[in-house]
Amino acid sequence: MADKMLVSHLLDDLAIKILVVEPGDLSAVGELLESADKLLAHAEVQQKAVLEKMVAAFKKVLEASIMGELPDSPENFDRLAQSVSFMQEASRNEMADVHAFCRLFTEIGCVLDAADFGISSSPEEGAAAGAEEGEIDSRFLADPELLAAFIEEAEEHLNSVESNILALEKSPGDSDIINTIFRSFHTVKGIASCTDLDRISTLAHATENLLDEVRNKRLVLGQEATDVVLAVCDRLQRMVENIQEVFEKGLEHYKSFEVDDLIAQVERVMAAKPLTAPSPPPAMAAEEAGPATPPAGQGKVDLGSGDLPDFMQDADLVAGFIAEAFEHLEAIEVHVLDLEQAPDDIDIINNIFRPFHTIKGVSGFLNLTTINKLAHSTENLLDDVRNNKLPMSADIIDVVLGVGDYLRGMVQNLSDMLEQGPAAYKDFDISDWVSKVELLQAGGDLEAAPAPPAREEAVAPLSPAESVAPVAKGPAPSPQAAPSQEEPAKGAAAAPAKQKIGASIKVDVEKLDGLVNAVGELVIMQTMVRQNPLITGIADPKLNKDFGQLSRITAELQKTAMSMRMVPIRQTFQKMTRLVRDLSKKSGKVVDLVMEGEETEIDRNMVDSIYDPLVHMMRNSVDHGVQKPEDREAVGKPGKGTVKLLAYHKGGNIIIEIIDDGQGLNTDKIRSKAIERGLMKGTDQVSDHEVNNMIFLPGFSTADQITDVSGRGVGMDVVKKGVEKLRGKVELISTPGQGTQFLMRLPLTLAIIDGIIVRVGQERYIIPTTAIQESLRAKAESYKTVQGHGETLMVRNSLVPIIRLSHVFAVADSCQQITAGIMVVVENEGRRRALLVDELLGKQEVVIKSLGGYLQDIKGLAGGTILGDGRVGLILDLAGLISASEAKGPCPLISAPAPAESDSAQEGAEENAEQLLL
Amino acid sequence: MSSQTVARGESGRKGIAELAGKYLTFALGDEEYGISILKVREIIGLMEITAVPQTPSYVKGVINLRGRVIPVLELRIKFGMPTQKYTERTCIIVVEVGAAAGTLQLGMLVDSVSEVLNISAEEIEPPPSFGSLDVDTGAILGMAKIKGEVKILLDVNSIVGKGLLEKFNAA
Repeated sequence: MADKMLVSHLLDDLAIKILVVEPGDLSAVGELLESADKLLAHAEVQQKAVLEKMVAAFKKVLEASIMGELPDSPENFDRLAQSVSFMQEASRNEMADVHAFCRLFTEIGCVLDAADFGISSSPEEGAAAGAEEGEIDSRFLADPELLAAFIEEAEEHLNSVESNILALEKSPGDSDIINTIFRSFHTVKGIASCTDLDRISTLAHATENLLDEVRNKRLVLGQEATDVVLAVCDRLQRMVENIQEVFEKGLEHYKSFEVDDLIAQVERVMAAKPLTAPSPPPAMAAEEAGPATPPAGQGKVDLGSGDLPDFMQDADLVAGFIAEAFEHLEAIEVHVLDLEQAPDDIDIINNIFRPFHTIKGVSGFLNLTTINKLAHSTENLLDDVRNNKLPMSADIIDVVLGVGDYLRGMVQNLSDMLEQGPAAYKDFDISDWVSKVELLQAGGDLEAAPAPPAREEAVAPLSPAESVAPVAKGPAPSPQAAPSQEEPAKGAAAAPAKQKIGASIKVDVEKLDGLVNAVGELVIMQTMVRQNPLITGIADPKLNKDFGQLSRITAELQKTAMSMRMVPIRQTFQKMTRLVRDLSKKSGKVVDLVMEGEETEIDRNMVDSIYDPLVHMMRNSVDHGVQKPEDREAVGKPGKGTVKLLAYHKGGNIIIEIIDDGQGLNTDKIRSKAIERGLMKGTDQVSDHEVNNMIFLPGFSTADQITDVSGRGVGMDVVKKGVEKLRGKVELISTPGQGTQFLMRLPLTLAIIDGIIVRVGQERYIIPTTAIQESLRAKAESYKTVQGHGETLMVRNSLVPIIRLSHVFAVADSCQQITAGIMVVVENEGRRRALLVDELLGKQEVVIKSLGGYLQDIKGLAGGTILGDGRVGLILDLAGLISASEAKGPCPLISAPAPAESDSAQEGAEENAEQLLL
Repeated sequence: MSSQTVARGESGRKGIAELAGKYLTFALGDEEYGISILKVREIIGLMEITAVPQTPSYVKGVINLRGRVIPVLELRIKFGMPTQKYTERTCIIVVEVGAAAGTLQLGMLVDSVSEVLNISAEEIEPPPSFGSLDVDTGAILGMAKIKGEVKILLDVNSIVGKGLLEKFNAA
């Protein structure tokens, strides 16, 4: 309560002080600032958010006026004095008139939005907030993603500048280092201007010019120049830090930085350069020719010159652009598809508009004229749409999607060029798309006002700094629509981005893999130590407790390490949205795609590999599963079909389900087809479920006519193969008339495999559990030979070829008797085999390791692992094993059942086998 | 002097002068071999080796070197010498070999490790020619004569060179 008293006391104090202050009296204003500071601290203690923000704004105005950025006129001080009375109201818990407060500040020239106080702003105030000459220029907040990228990158570059300058002091004149510093400033300048951070951009630009002189040997980087560059670097760092603060905590943390003094310094250093330097030496001339940074004023780039010459100069920047552009294009696609569902949703249009805008901005800056142009005209089209100058139509959606695809191709080509050099350059003719876009836009123009002329100018690529600025301002000039639309969208987009920044770092995948490996070893070592007979002999409760703790910690560590490689499945799922849309459109069906569990995480390495199988399954569900609307209505279903795409974790696996509510499989036709193909006999008792799953067999996939017969079978063996490669399983459940369900079961990670350890002679092998169907001890009567040497085993009424592991792998001293060993029935790509092993040793999760460069490609082996006793165990690769055994041919038969080698051992094995029967 | 030694070296082979340096010597039967100490990562005692099927006979298998799986070659078999029972002195020299995808570690099973010798250029002679005899000189850098004894200097990289890699795949 004392605090409350103190606050009101401080406010009264402030109210008196502000009345007596003379404009221009800096020390008095400084005192005010001090009081405001105190007040802020106390307001924080009392958790008075509104008051706190008011005081913060008040403080900011004072600071600005000290810096000479605001006219410290008597009127403004009157307004400040008025604002103090609002604060007094707020401190007394009365409803302060925040709107009036904001208006005051806007009048002063400092933009303040009532929305910042958590109070909805009335429309006219929202508009007022957009005042052009606002001291706090919030335009840079319009694109949080871009801003986040900027902050991260700028920090990186500034740090490198600092260390490079210090390196340069040790070896002055090193042109490599100078170039690196130059490039850093160049990049900072570029990205800052993309994000409307004009001051940062200007300062970086001036410094860049200075360094350009240095690297062209027209200026010696002396002590003074070095100091200036370092000072610039410091200032920029502080500015970027502040931007980050604003980004995370809100606009009221914005600090205004003066840059003119430093720019003046930079210019002084440049002016003082000795004019002795003649024409640059030849090596430098070549560099100068590369227009990485045309200094201000001479930055016009010839439109006709195409993309090729320029952008390769700045590979880092281009690489950043490529990655970013792909993300944006993906976002565009997703949002366009959303838009189809809700064509009038202005938020979604904004969400499409913004990525185009960003792509345009960055590509313009990088002199990627074609990309820039295409993105720009599309952006214009969208701008007209969101300003209600043009109605949304299916045509527009199609064109936007088409442009998105085309841009993707262009960006892909860019990335190819980065990797393979300029030779990979492909010429993209965008005129077709541009004219399509313009045609659509013109259609709208007939009814609405023509597009503002400012846009037209921006099409021509200007110098980097210029090309971005005018367009970034693009949305602003339409006063009635822009502010009210942008505000909510801005808030929504900023919210998720806030958590991201600072909370994530980029890590080399190799390092990550190294960590995961090391942790895997740690877990194994821990088990080894624990199982050491000397240790197990100690009956000490403390030791046991400590070991328990140790294993908990290692398990936790392993979990964390593994999770670092996981990414949400969202991206992959989102690609399906587009697929379903295109497919249903082509086949004249109406299909609703429902997705659940997009946040389910999977191993980064698996993302690409699950894409193909997913596509095939989706295609099946839409093409063959869901019927045409009229057919659906005929059987009493809604005309709109539904395909569900689900992902979730279950028992150490990731399950992906695709469920359609279509017609289901025609089991009878598959059955007859299977009989025709010789996959089963007409007399066989095979359940419908098993028959349905036959569509995964290779025999069912290739020929066209199968589609007529079964209504299914587009590359389903591809699905199975793909899933098995990931050591997963795929299954199909079909209910006639109700629909089909695909169930894909994938391991959480590719680094760890669940396996059964088997012994063959003295060797131990690991068989992936996913491949094992069952294991059993063969009876003599189920063992059949073909032509005297092809060995088969009758398992549940089907003949399974036998592979003797000892034969294929040439293992000595192993069990040769079919009836004495254990048969492990495995399945791979539809082929079933019975592996003869001596005994089953247990089930274990093992970390897969490469056998080292020279032993990588051994047929039949997927890799090695360290077993619990520290020895290396080999993991079987069944596909390779089967083909290796086929290549090797049948083993010479051991005739007639020989007496069992050692009965007791056999019995032990038998017990094991029974436990492990799957 | 040095140019003279280089001239003595056969064409396409490294200059003898470059061969001078420290070598780890080891024994295979009665013969003494040396490999550049710079290639040696460590020497470990014999441990259990997991045989890897479908590899040439001189690949004894793989071992667990502190969590890494590395292959082990038996040099006796590699050089076509008769094998003998492992003794207490049998050990594995872990070497690092260059490969396209960075360096790889590799174990070499030898009868025993002798010592580290500083061998000067004057003590080294180019490898002798055996004509059509079945002696693989591809991996031999040179012969060092020290105190009346001959040490055969080996190039680790060509022991598991490209040609051998192809053999692996064929096997």
